[in-house]
Amino acid sequence: MTLENNFINHSKEYIFLDNETLSNQRDKTFNKIFKKNYDKKNNESLKHISISDLSNFDYFYKPKNEDSKVTIIDKYNYEIRVVNGICKNYEDDNIKIRNLTNLDFKSFLNQDNNNLDDIIIDFNKIFLNSGIFFNIKSNSKLNIRLIHNTSDNFTIFQNNFINFKKKCEVQLEEYFNLTHNSINNINYNTNIEEGALINHNIFQNFSNSNKLYLTSNTVCEKNSSYNQNTYNFSDGFVRNFHNANLNGEFANASLKGCFFLKDKNICTIKTNIIHNAEHCVSDQSYKGILNDHAKANFYSNTFVSDNAQKTEGYQLSKGILLSDNCSFFSKPELRIFADDVKCSHGSTIGPVDESALYYLRSRGINKNEAMKMIISSFIEEDLINLDNNIAEQIIYNLSIYLNSLEND
Amino acid sequence: MIFLNINNLNVSIEGKKILDDFNISINEGEVHAIMGPNGCGKSTLANVLAGNEEYEVSSGKVIFKDQNLLDLNIEERSQKGLFLAFQYPVEIPGVNITPFLHASINSKLKNDKKPELDNLSFAKLLRKNAEELGISSDMLKRSINTGFSGGEKKRYEILQMSILNPDLTIFDETDSGLDVDALRIVTEGINKFKDSKKSFLIITHYQKLLDYIHPDYVHVMRNGKIVKSGDISLASEIEASGYQNF
Repeated sequence: MTLENNFINHSKEYIFLDNETLSNQRDKTFNKIFKKNYDKKNNESLKHISISDLSNFDYFYKPKNEDSKVTIIDKYNYEIRVVNGICKNYEDDNIKIRNLTNLDFKSFLNQDNNNLDDIIIDFNKIFLNSGIFFNIKSNSKLNIRLIHNTSDNFTIFQNNFINFKKKCEVQLEEYFNLTHNSINNINYNTNIEEGALINHNIFQNFSNSNKLYLTSNTVCEKNSSYNQNTYNFSDGFVRNFHNANLNGEFANASLKGCFFLKDKNICTIKTNIIHNAEHCVSDQSYKGILNDHAKANFYSNTFVSDNAQKTEGYQLSKGILLSDNCSFFSKPELRIFADDVKCSHGSTIGPVDESALYYLRSRGINKNEAMKMIISSFIEEDLINLDNNIAEQIIYNLSIYLNSLEND
Repeated sequence: MIFLNINNLNVSIEGKKILDDFNISINEGEVHAIMGPNGCGKSTLANVLAGNEEYEVSSGKVIFKDQNLLDLNIEERSQKGLFLAFQYPVEIPGVNITPFLHASINSKLKNDKKPELDNLSFAKLLRKNAEELGISSDMLKRSINTGFSGGEKKRYEILQMSILNPDLTIFDETDSGLDVDALRIVTEGINKFKDSKKSFLIITHYQKLLDYIHPDYVHVMRNGKIVKSGDISLASEIEASGYQNF
């Protein structure tokens, strides 16, 4: 179905229909895309993204919330199951979770990502059909597993708000377990208040009939810390766009990830960190292994405003290319307007080191095993600082990937 | 049994001939040294024997333990009992020494149709051999050659040799980059490993290494072939007057 047909035929299913300002904004955004009033050619972050795929789809959204639930494993451990963009409303001393309603239009209007010029966010705004508020209360120390499930053929356009209150410490594990032919355009607005420490591990693992466009915009206040690790083991298309604003001094944000791609899989990544305060540290680094005709691109950006002295900002991309037909495009960008900063960027992309392969084989290890050792070491060198549970999941998925190479 | 026989070996890299009708025979238990100026083809010989795929063998035969060595790939040559101690051992961050060596010895044992070593038996063997070479247990927890000094890298090559127990070891300028003390430690390790069944091919520029190891034969190599063979006195002759007389 065309963009226009989807927009007209399903307009009653969108939220915030009764708000005139938002309706006008939605019409304006629709017209911008409909009239192709955007610049894809000069926007590397849209490399490998098909606007035709984005525009032509069968909109389908008829959610039921009976399967969504919140499970309290104990007072520090929660499991939240979101089904087709719907969660179970829940509140206790640690957390509050509820679905977005038409009354939340002000939050939507005032969200920080309105300044981000991104066509994926535009699509999210046009077809918005779900959203969740998460509120993690002050001083809470929690482990949260957040699981997204979809039903077949669902098109989910979701806008979530997470507020981590002062001095909370949260280990957030997020899983995208998507089924058949689902389109998921999910947008997060996250606020991390003073002194809050957040580790956010995102696992993207689903079949090639699904698409995930995941966008996040995080604001870090004074002395807060946000560590995001995105692990993409999917056969389906994934676009990650993660943005962080360091607004309070001594805050830090790291946006990292790794991906294993094969066949004709595509992974496109954009990260962006804005330093607006002094003594903040940021890190943007992604690692990938690619085989067959897989394609990836990583566009990273560090912006240091003139008042953000004593900034440290690092960018790194590393990739192993296992075939002549795969590609990994990396473009780091630094825009620095303060004079007392430490910033760097680097990129190493290429085939497996032949001299390392020769060395291992000269000790009796066959070529396939030697290859596996080198690839595993490439990923495993970063696992030392991770929780065992997270590291084990990465090692498990890496072993599946490596075994698939053996079967080629 | 023919232990090692190289007959009229011709090798090129990127169209340039490096080994030119090269010949040598080594018997079981013999120690041979090859000396020669830079660029004469010494390291090429070592790499061709180890199976490095960058080199193109245009003609010639290499028989090792009655088998055509050139028919075997890199790992099969190692499993058959050939070991190359590298001039510049490669750093491989993230690949831990212990599991790597364990996989390595087990691949050889499997090829020999012998029972593989379990974790405990391997750990005992590794610890014993490492102690003999003065290698600390901390070093065994590290990644292959990563952050090692020149001496540590060479000592670690000797440790690998002692674990894999090869029939033929090729030392490719093992003495390069070593100070006197490191050279002594490395050569002591080699001498401990020597016996009447094991053979060695030592490639070097200098007599110093040979003073410690005492080869049975010394060969001078120039322009891709051996131009003179003799005993240890040949090394003294080279030390005194260089290679221009050959």
